[in-house]
Amino acid sequence: MRENKASKSLSSTSACSLLRDAYHNCFNRWYADKFMKGHWDKLECASEWQKYRACLSQHLEDKHLIRFLEAEGIVQDSDL
Amino acid sequence: MVKAYRQEHVYKHPWERVSCASWRKFADPENKRVLSHILDVDTLNHSLDPSSGKLYTTRAITIHCPGPWFLRRIVGQDICHCVETTMVDAMSRSMQLSSRNISLQKFIEVEEKIRYDPHPDNPSGWTLCQQETRIRIKPLSALASMAEKVEQRCADRFLQNSVKGREVMERICKYLEAESTSLSL
Repeated sequence: MRENKASKSLSSTSACSLLRDAYHNCFNRWYADKFMKGHWDKLECASEWQKYRACLSQHLEDKHLIRFLEAEGIVQDSDL
Repeated sequence: MVKAYRQEHVYKHPWERVSCASWRKFADPENKRVLSHILDVDTLNHSLDPSSGKLYTTRAITIHCPGPWFLRRIVGQDICHCVETTMVDAMSRSMQLSSRNISLQKFIEVEEKIRYDPHPDNPSGWTLCQQETRIRIKPLSALASMAEKVEQRCADRFLQNSVKGREVMERICKYLEAESTSLSL
């Protein structure tokens, strides 16, 4: 029973795991090679992000999380 | 009925390397075995302010948190979602992360803040990590009568996991260090 719940939740976004890895790899590279070196004029990895995000919006089950996904780009200083 | 504690750790690595390691902390397959309570980490949104060099990110972290049987019976689930917001200020070299649970909120609130800053004694070589955790059982919840015990248990678990988290961070820093030296050779 417990295991079922765990695996159910696991599978909810694991459908996106390849797209997620592609995006995170690209992000980590941009972060280390560009952002950390003072090139912060733009975020890269746009196509990886679009694909990953489209997958997430199909597979995210938790409605609280969906709210965050929809509020793209709106992150306030006050959240920290 | 709040349990709060602070921890500090000094990484003998520059801030840039530590902040790169922080992004990789949950993602690396090698670490997934050590941090086995982390089931999934998804980025929900991100934005960059090009004028100030500030990067904002929101991630969802899915955690496996099996409590004792009586807790499980009350709470009815052992999967918990947390939302983590991160702000990286590249100009002033500061990284601030804040996470809180969004599931089980009627029972418990856990908030964790971590910040990474250049160490005042060696700003170019070391990084100071300050971590603050607050755990609060909601007073009217079914857990209230055993709040103290549950809070202590949560606190213990959090402490164990933050030790594991630091080990993972140290390992990724070493790996990144090796990678950068081999590149510059």
